[in-house]
Amino acid sequence: MKTVAYNSPFVPPEWIAAHGMQPDWMRLRAAGDRSPTGMGRGVCPFAGETILAVVSGLQATAVVVTTVCDQMRRAAELIERDGQLPVFLMNVPSTWQTTAADELYVAELERLGRFFVQLGGEAPSNDKLARVMLGYDRARGALRAARAGLSARRFAEAVAGLRGGGTPASETAVGPPPAAGVPLALIGGPLPERHRGLLDLVERSGGRVVLDGTEGGERTMPLPFDREAAADDPLGELARAYFAGIPDVSRRPNDAFYQWLADQLEARQVRGILLRRYVWCDLWHAELHRLRQVSPVPVLDLDVDHEDNGSLARTAGRLEAFLEMLR
Amino acid sequence: MNEAPRRITLDEWDRRHAELWAAGLREPDYGGPLRRHVDDGDLRLLSLEMDNSAAALRLWNFLLTEEERLHRARDEGKKIVGTMKDLGTVPVMAYSLPDVVAFYPDGAWWIPCVMQRSAGLLEIADSLGLDDSFCPVRAMVGAYVNEAHFPIPELTTCSVGATCDDVSALAQRLEALGFPILWWEMPHRRRPDAEEAAVQLSGGFRAPESQIAWVQSELQRVRDALEEHTGQRLTDELLAAGIERANRVRRRLAELRRLAFTADACPMPALEMLIAEMLAIHFCSDQHETIRVLEDLLEEVENRVRSGVGVLAPQAVRVFWVNPVADLRVMNLLEDAGGRICGTEYLFCHALDPIPEDLPPMEALARMALADPMAGPSADRAERICAEARRFGAEAVVISHIPGASHCAIEAAVIGQMVRTRLALPVLEIEVPPITDSMEPTLRTRLEALIETVTERRKR
Repeated sequence: MKTVAYNSPFVPPEWIAAHGMQPDWMRLRAAGDRSPTGMGRGVCPFAGETILAVVSGLQATAVVVTTVCDQMRRAAELIERDGQLPVFLMNVPSTWQTTAADELYVAELERLGRFFVQLGGEAPSNDKLARVMLGYDRARGALRAARAGLSARRFAEAVAGLRGGGTPASETAVGPPPAAGVPLALIGGPLPERHRGLLDLVERSGGRVVLDGTEGGERTMPLPFDREAAADDPLGELARAYFAGIPDVSRRPNDAFYQWLADQLEARQVRGILLRRYVWCDLWHAELHRLRQVSPVPVLDLDVDHEDNGSLARTAGRLEAFLEMLR
Repeated sequence: MNEAPRRITLDEWDRRHAELWAAGLREPDYGGPLRRHVDDGDLRLLSLEMDNSAAALRLWNFLLTEEERLHRARDEGKKIVGTMKDLGTVPVMAYSLPDVVAFYPDGAWWIPCVMQRSAGLLEIADSLGLDDSFCPVRAMVGAYVNEAHFPIPELTTCSVGATCDDVSALAQRLEALGFPILWWEMPHRRRPDAEEAAVQLSGGFRAPESQIAWVQSELQRVRDALEEHTGQRLTDELLAAGIERANRVRRRLAELRRLAFTADACPMPALEMLIAEMLAIHFCSDQHETIRVLEDLLEEVENRVRSGVGVLAPQAVRVFWVNPVADLRVMNLLEDAGGRICGTEYLFCHALDPIPEDLPPMEALARMALADPMAGPSADRAERICAEARRFGAEAVVISHIPGASHCAIEAAVIGQMVRTRLALPVLEIEVPPITDSMEPTLRTRLEALIETVTERRKR
């Protein structure tokens, strides 16, 4: 089966799967000092790693990235120039309060569908799309229901598994019970597979991530589908669940993110927030100060740069001090 | 009072201004000696060398009195519109209405340079968590918060989507601080699919018709907001007249650039040309005066070209410059090193192109907005840079990074490679913070090395 690699939660894996292709939530390797494209200072480590992963020979039929952030929008160009794979840059509007923005997102999904067909995929019938969507929806529902019984790492793996290419959700949705600890929220940019050790570190330090608000975590899971709407207009329902359902700091305005966070902090009795952001990520960095002002609980800023990418040594001490303060 | 064209210091301008006055110079109401701007805090003038013409004097005075003009407009009951990020489109719409003044709050990014950080805007940004990992445009947040520079606009618009993350993130913070913003979407300009109806845009770019229609619908939201905030109808007739006025600015600027970049002897320094180009995007808060300022400058340049005189050595190396500099002094440095500007892409080349006057005005504006070099692939921008560099006979390209800007690191890799491959020209990448004094020796050395490289190539 042909594989489509992607790294944005605004790309619905159902849409890829419905075209008869395998969605693959991209796994990344450390870029370190490597810079195959001659990029200068200021590149977001995540964008850099994405470029490196693709140009180094990512095993996939094609790559889909989105315009959600400026660096990734531009990374798409380097991936296309220096890599061997077809690249699709999906335009995800920043604005969301107009019908036109909704329509643009739908139009981009349609354009993405044509891209899949060109790659050998098959345009799905409405019935097939609805069937695939409801299958994913059931799996997500089951995972949400199981969340409280899973360790943060297991839950993160299961969410990634649902997006495709990782450990199957059925295998990760069981595991050791979650450790007791200070309930924390982890929010911010993407937490790639090889960085999930952070979740273990939190538990070893006496905390527990009860809310995964990273890009790719549960914050960016779509809304549950309306079964009736999925049957009548599956593409429209798919777009609604993703485009209207993902609260992100990149949206303009981004109030929905803060509303989501406030609701979840209260519902899960969170006592502290870890904001994990990549250096040079303006979108998250700009929110740090505001978050500290509005958050009812303390916020710990964890910035990730090229040098300590993947290393938890620097984080460990700060995390322990943060948790000591919360106990 | 004729004097050979040259760059002069502020001290020399004191004397020059007195001489010009004695010789009968009459200035507009914002005129006067440049020294008074230093007294008002524009300390960077002390480190700059400026062209010694009366036309340049008018240009500098026009630039440095914009804040006064905005406050006067407010006092006169005019509506003030802040237009963030789009660089050239919304101001054309705003200036189509009587008694409306538009300006770019993001233009505050030059305040830390011009006032040598004495205004404290970056410190305010720092205090809000917006440190120097952001582009110097973070000064805009300080200017909104302390209200010591421009009046807070009745309406602020901001284009988002295919724009830099810095302005988007900073504008979001402004909104959270209580400054409402009308967000409008600029989609990433993509290349049309094979079977897709497409439109040729200025600058040689192409875009799908569907994207033009989409941008037009977004601009219609801006139009609606302008009507609501000003209580006036923005008719197609008014828009057409506004486009015609904007084109008058652009035509004069186009001729000014052609002469300045192609004359054997450089007739106008890089610094004044940079400022002149900036006038095209928002008219420095007075569209009619912008035209007069540019006409003066053009007349001066025409006279110098006719006389075969210039401000730099005739053998100055011809450099194409990419991105505006946060520190104006760097334009002096290039010329000190033996270079001259022959072509620019200061992020808003679309605002220099004529707006089509044979199309319905909103469609014409949508086409112009979508021709923004920052909205599309960097390769498109690089193509345009190559074409312009070739047209103006550039011998080298400088890519000037804006510190912290989300677009610079990756796009420079695309632009640099294309310039080297297509034109076989040397490319220098530098980073220019708002004040370069501490790194001036390094910058100077690197620019000199570039100039020497070209000089050696000439001998082959």
